Amino acid sequence: MSDSPLHNSADVKALKCADCARSDSLVSDLKPTDVMPIPADALAGFPDGVPRAKRTAHGHSRRAFMRNGLIGAASIYSATKLDWTSVWESAIARADGPMQKSIVCIYLNGGNDGLNAVVPIDATNFAAYNAARANIARVLGPSGGGKVGTTVMGGTGGTMAFANPLVSGTGNNGDTKGFDTLYGDGSGGAGSDLAVFPAADYTPPNLSHFESRDYWFAGALQGMATGWLGRWLDAYGTMDNPLQAISLDSSLSKQIRSNKAPVCAIEGLNGAAFTVPNVKSSSPNSEVQKLAAVQASAGNVALARSRQIYGLTVDVSNRLHTLTTVTPGAGYPANSDLSRKLQLAATLLGANLGTRVITIDWGSFDTHGDQVTSQDPQFAVLSSALGAFKADLAARGIEQNVVTMVFSEFGRRVMSNDSLGTDHGAGGMMLVSGSAVRGGLASPHPGLTKLDNDGDLVVETDFRSVYQALIAEWLGGDPTQVLPGGPFAGVHRYDGGTQLMK
Amino acid sequence: MSSVDSAIAAKLKRKLKHKPKPKAGIAAAKPRKHRLHLPPADDAATAGIDLTSMSPAMVDRLFWRAGFGPTEADRTQWTGAPVGAVVDSLLGSASTLAGTAGTNSGKALDPTNEDTDLVLSRVDQMVRSTTPFVERMKFFWHRHFANSRDSVSPPQLLLQQNDLFQKYSDFATYPTATFSQLAHDITVNPSMLRYLTGEDNVKGAPNENYARELMELFALGVVNLNGQSNYAQSDVTGLAKAFSGWVINDANPDAATSSFDKSRWYDGPKIVFGKFANLDSTSGVDLVLGQPNHATFITRKLWLEFITQPPDAATQATLNSTYASAGTQLKPLLKYILTHPALFTSIGEPDMIKPPVVYVVGAMRALGVGVTDSTAADFLDSMGQVPYFPPNVSGWEGGLAWLNTNTALARFGFIGQLLSKGKITDAGATETPAAAYSRAYSAVLEPWLAPATQAAIQDYATRAGSSSSTLRIERQIMLRALMLAGPDAQVM
Repeated sequence: MSDSPLHNSADVKALKCADCARSDSLVSDLKPTDVMPIPADALAGFPDGVPRAKRTAHGHSRRAFMRNGLIGAASIYSATKLDWTSVWESAIARADGPMQKSIVCIYLNGGNDGLNAVVPIDATNFAAYNAARANIARVLGPSGGGKVGTTVMGGTGGTMAFANPLVSGTGNNGDTKGFDTLYGDGSGGAGSDLAVFPAADYTPPNLSHFESRDYWFAGALQGMATGWLGRWLDAYGTMDNPLQAISLDSSLSKQIRSNKAPVCAIEGLNGAAFTVPNVKSSSPNSEVQKLAAVQASAGNVALARSRQIYGLTVDVSNRLHTLTTVTPGAGYPANSDLSRKLQLAATLLGANLGTRVITIDWGSFDTHGDQVTSQDPQFAVLSSALGAFKADLAARGIEQNVVTMVFSEFGRRVMSNDSLGTDHGAGGMMLVSGSAVRGGLASPHPGLTKLDNDGDLVVETDFRSVYQALIAEWLGGDPTQVLPGGPFAGVHRYDGGTQLMK
Repeated sequence: MSSVDSAIAAKLKRKLKHKPKPKAGIAAAKPRKHRLHLPPADDAATAGIDLTSMSPAMVDRLFWRAGFGPTEADRTQWTGAPVGAVVDSLLGSASTLAGTAGTNSGKALDPTNEDTDLVLSRVDQMVRSTTPFVERMKFFWHRHFANSRDSVSPPQLLLQQNDLFQKYSDFATYPTATFSQLAHDITVNPSMLRYLTGEDNVKGAPNENYARELMELFALGVVNLNGQSNYAQSDVTGLAKAFSGWVINDANPDAATSSFDKSRWYDGPKIVFGKFANLDSTSGVDLVLGQPNHATFITRKLWLEFITQPPDAATQATLNSTYASAGTQLKPLLKYILTHPALFTSIGEPDMIKPPVVYVVGAMRALGVGVTDSTAADFLDSMGQVPYFPPNVSGWEGGLAWLNTNTALARFGFIGQLLSKGKITDAGATETPAAAYSRAYSAVLEPWLAPATQAAIQDYATRAGSSSSTLRIERQIMLRALMLAGPDAQVM
């Protein structure tokens, strides 16, 4: 991932174990079957129906799609050879229709420590936390940095708090746009849009990065070649639109690996703007836009073409940079790969190209050492990026159609190690965010006093029950057609509710 | 053109001629107003065109279409002159290079060892040429007989081919050059023999590559204007046999030659275009050039190099007779085309997209920037036209396809790079927005800008910050970039 254009050194890298390095190379083994150019028009909503007219008139359809320029390429993974001309034609047709419900999956690479995000603060559990994590435990208290918040999470009976001040509210020294804002009062009603699963995993847990990630991606505990969303697409997706599922990466996430439904990977889009060296006080892009708006005389196709293309370039560039300009104060964290990928996700979803699934692989959570200094900044980014993403989607008028899921391959050992870090454990944290989501503590916390035989959290939620709920309540379809071994026990919220969605 | 039109044009011209040159400053804030006085182009294709006395817009048009844009000296010298005089000058001036030879990051260009330098050497010639028309013609032949460095080694072969094209482009030195001779030369040209694998064409194993492209791309076209095939596969097969037997001697790459090895030649009768004869390369080429569609094919391609609209039937007939009656000489044909009123259609609003090479060289000449690094080659690559690297044997597609969002960014970015190489100074706090506009416009040699474009750029000048030297310099850079790199700068 280090050679990705989305990579930014500002993102913190944690100490990695050898197994994780190995799994990085194994998970991306699938080779694309084709590369589909992404026309600039796609992100501009196909102005003037340019490609269609050209196609019927001259039959030079491929050239017609590319003639206005490209903003990137999608690596296609498809069982059958697709004519990408017809892919874009159906995308154009779809863009006119209503947006379908979609899911964005953020995978926290390396095994995230949920206890450093949400922690029980009742006396018994907090004492156990302090004892187990003596060298990295946070102090309980609202004043000063580095404390666990005393503002308890609503809907938890007063026993849970956001453990990391960076992700909690002003009362807890954090910013105001992150997890706690999304979480709201935890009631699952309006404004309570973040569901927290403090210990989601499977039993018996497998503490290998590769094996465990494979299970999470596959949605199954036996060696399945396809991903859970890939199988959902096989059953309920289309057979002609690879844009229905997109990995924002150079390679495909196994989550959307399918048997027959076409899917794709898009590393990034090039929405470069017009710039002039040594000019900082003016915006060449907006001045060029004015020049491009001048009408050419009838019949002067060359000048009309030039102005159209200059205008299209500005338009695409603006669309790809909408976040900072269209959603003032949305506050994506600066210089982060996650911000860039979420902005790209928002742009692609906003273009309404029939996309149902977007996967994002982010971060470096294998915190065997120096956990606090490596995980905290990443959680600060994740927290405000999730808030910004939601605001961005809302500004585009599509937030009600998007749910975001955050997960990792496992949690971490309750007892910290001597390197100020934690080793591989069980019972990781899952988050599901969106205004359609019933926010709150979506499963009870297993507590720190009764651990499993390895000293890990007792798995409270089978991760497949969350997938099951996402299919049944959100994406649509029969979960048993997608998730082998089901049905699984349903969601059981702390407050007794059984619904994931509102 | 009607006599009424001529009278109006003459009147306009007189008016223009006596118009005092605007002083640097406020007056020039309404630049090139004369263009606005011309009747709209769609009224009648060539309304307002007086071939006996060129307007500044006509001078600009001719020097863009047949060169890399006008200099101030060109405008001064030729405004008011008849088109024929300018064209005679273009066709009668030998090719020379001015200024110092280009370099790449401090080192002399090394075109036979570095492909980037090979490209830059071509750009350097075009930028320094005192007769841009000759360079444009050489580049036309390179695009017509497209050979790519991608499959031609050693690179000396391409340089040698470029020298060959000079003989069919510099009509001061070679006034009677014919397309026929060029076709014969190129058929056995070492670079062409390598690029289209003619050197592999031996008796018993005919290679149809060149025979097909000679007919399809170089001399006849697949079909004529009525959609009828100009040749059949059997003609390709027969002609390929005629072209067999040529080998390249490139042991010394700087003096590569080709030679005919009779033992490799298919020595026997072939049937081509119904003719039964023991054809060789010479008689084979003659046979192709004698085909009915040849004149139309080549004259039309040359016409469309300079003129946007295809010739009508009558004009096509004149093109053909001009070409044929002069024994395929190029100079009379080019004179007819370059002095044709159709060259000046839409004179108030240019209607042909500048090919990347013309755009790049034109901007470098306008700003007085020579080749000192790989910038020109890099940006030509981004714009989609690297000399000596055509995408395939049919050359570059060109036309509207030159412009897309990627190439537009490259075109705009290139000018920014050029501007950053020059020293742009602050004229002081007293410089008004109009004066800033005027200074920028003059510095970029007053290119064509639509009235509404001028207004938009002037509006920018009034809005731009000017309270500090830095801001005023940025305003000046921006103005020049908008004038030289915006959408209006892409047409000629």
